[in-house]
Amino acid sequence: MSTPAPPTLTVADYPLSTNRPELLRTPTGKPVTALTMDAVVSGELTAEDLRIAPETLELQAQLADASGRPQLAANFRRAAEMTAIPDAEVLSMYNALRPRASTAAQLTAMADRLESTYSAPVSAALVREAAEVYGRRRLLADDEPEDAATAATSPDAVTPAVAADETTPGSPS
Amino acid sequence: MTAVAPRPTEQARRSLRTEALEARPVNLDGFVEEWPEKGLVAMESDFDPQPSVRVADGVITELDGRARADFDFMDSFIADHAIDVATTEASMALPSVQIARMLIDPGVSRAEVIAVTRGLTPAKVLDVVKLMNVVEIMQGMQKMRARRTPANQAHSTSARDNPLQVAVDAAEGALRGFAELETTLGVVRYAPLVAIALQVGGQVGRGGVLTQCALEEATELELGMRGITAYAETISIYGTESVFVDGDDTPWSKTFLASAYASRGIKMRFTSGTGSEVQMGNAEGRSMLYLEIRCILMAKGAGVQGLQNGSISCIGVPGAVPGGIRAVAAENLVASMMDLECASGNDQSFSHSAMRRTARMLPQLLPGTDFVCSGYSAVPNSDNMFAGSNFDTDDYDDWNTIQRDLQVDGGLRHVREPEVLAVRAKAARVLQALFEHLELPRITDEEVEAATYANSSNDYPFRDVLADLTGAQQVMDRGVTGLDLVRGLEATGFHDVAENLLTVLRQRVSGDLLQTAAVLTADFTPLSAINDANDYAGPGTGYRLQGERWEELKKLRHVTSATDPETEVD
Repeated sequence: MSTPAPPTLTVADYPLSTNRPELLRTPTGKPVTALTMDAVVSGELTAEDLRIAPETLELQAQLADASGRPQLAANFRRAAEMTAIPDAEVLSMYNALRPRASTAAQLTAMADRLESTYSAPVSAALVREAAEVYGRRRLLADDEPEDAATAATSPDAVTPAVAADETTPGSPS
Repeated sequence: MTAVAPRPTEQARRSLRTEALEARPVNLDGFVEEWPEKGLVAMESDFDPQPSVRVADGVITELDGRARADFDFMDSFIADHAIDVATTEASMALPSVQIARMLIDPGVSRAEVIAVTRGLTPAKVLDVVKLMNVVEIMQGMQKMRARRTPANQAHSTSARDNPLQVAVDAAEGALRGFAELETTLGVVRYAPLVAIALQVGGQVGRGGVLTQCALEEATELELGMRGITAYAETISIYGTESVFVDGDDTPWSKTFLASAYASRGIKMRFTSGTGSEVQMGNAEGRSMLYLEIRCILMAKGAGVQGLQNGSISCIGVPGAVPGGIRAVAAENLVASMMDLECASGNDQSFSHSAMRRTARMLPQLLPGTDFVCSGYSAVPNSDNMFAGSNFDTDDYDDWNTIQRDLQVDGGLRHVREPEVLAVRAKAARVLQALFEHLELPRITDEEVEAATYANSSNDYPFRDVLADLTGAQQVMDRGVTGLDLVRGLEATGFHDVAENLLTVLRQRVSGDLLQTAAVLTADFTPLSAINDANDYAGPGTGYRLQGERWEELKKLRHVTSATDPETEVD
């Protein structure tokens, strides 16, 4: 994208939808003013057009910083990274972070994938921190050497532990 | 087991007064003695830790008497994400009484208080609010709530999961003033139809109302991603590690989830409340309020904009112990003094006593909170699938009268019957047309007529539940999105409703509703703690119920004309 570096906003720019609409674009590159009923009816718009763009989350992060809310800003910056991750994978990553859902190796693989595939270093750091704390608090899935080895190499490694958990109860296996 | 107390041979004679008192509804409520060792104590426990903090090399190495090596995951998360390491030692050095006084001193601004509170540990926060009586807690809330203008939230559900009922009651609720509407299900598979009904019905009542459907975390997120709901709230967090794990989550999974919502432009708040840990059997010997303060700090650390608290579905627990409702008011205050949006409870059914139900909500209604109820039942309680609310549709006129008596804004208003009937009829017709357009199970004219005049789900014709469930599954299988709803509304001639919904969906692109305590006004202006920051600084400042809004709230169902005592004013 050839978008210029975002400006530094102040609280007076809020709400962006009324005060700075020119800064707002959809992830598909359309200006927010293109989101009209005509465009909906003609089928020109898809659900993809009604998503937030990472650049917009960065603008909202600036507003959160400017209003003294650093944690909220950090949340928006993780969110900006996560806009690139498909819905289903976001859900499976969330499930993989549940207690005893993943081995240390699986969480490491997930962090690596966040960093390498999605350029999401802030989110990856959160996952690595989780892996460290889960290890100390015994909240990792039991390490089974085979699984761990697969997890470290497979990009799909973020899902299996949870999928197994959810089908196990009551099943005859 | 063998020792049986001797029974009196003759029943002692009781006074008629005692019999009258025994018959009072309040005596159907449950009350228990405190049991601090098990955490069955509101906020005054010898088993809570003493405040302390130590910092070394920019890292908190001791928190409330516990060394870093011994931190459980709540301590770790709070130390590393919630507490401002740079200011914590200075903040913690302030005497608790000084911080408590700052909270109620109109000469100290909200921002000055927050500059201190961002450095406090859970035990220190508890030490501060323990000094405050309930009036001081309210004074604190008046200044510390994030948004200047208070608001209210409703539940719109149906005992039969009838989407039509949910739609029309959502429309009426929105018309009466609720800024947010929440639904949930008896039969979870009904969710897609009911969530659509809520979303569409809400926009008929008042454009800009935000809706949510309370479900298991992953499903709730999926409906949000599709644009069928506008925000989420049922993201539960807990104050002990063991109960958090029992809830199948951790602070890190919930933090990831918070970012996931924001990454789709969806407003979200967490939910917690006093009593949940002891109810779930592992309070680790801490008081209810201490554990709730840990939840609040965890939420702040996660960077989520707000929190629903005030015991919520565990209200029976603090409600049963001495000082419990004071503790509930205190937990709302703590959420606000941590600079979070607070949707302040007055939610699940709490007491058989009307007097007690009213007293329970005064600490939120009088100072005003971001959402006074985080579920006022906009359906009769028999239809409330959140196990009933502290207030329901039967209480609308009482609520409006209390607002008028005390000149306080609880977010609602009286609406004349013709207007109510008009939006109910319209919401029913809109949903009828939309279901037909989406090839979902038919809504008959007979149902539309019933919905217009109904009170409860019993007043509607039965629906074909199997057909509805099949339709609900189709909504998921076909990947119906909010945009499909807009298209359907436009195609069926309900342009205004389509436009309202599109405007709500468009808000996601701007992210304005992600900021703290954001709501949409009737003209679709985002109103949050940024552009509607609470500026209370003593008498004559902050939000005042006056002008046009006050004129609106002077209206009730029956008000006698001053000029002609034989007539009532409209």
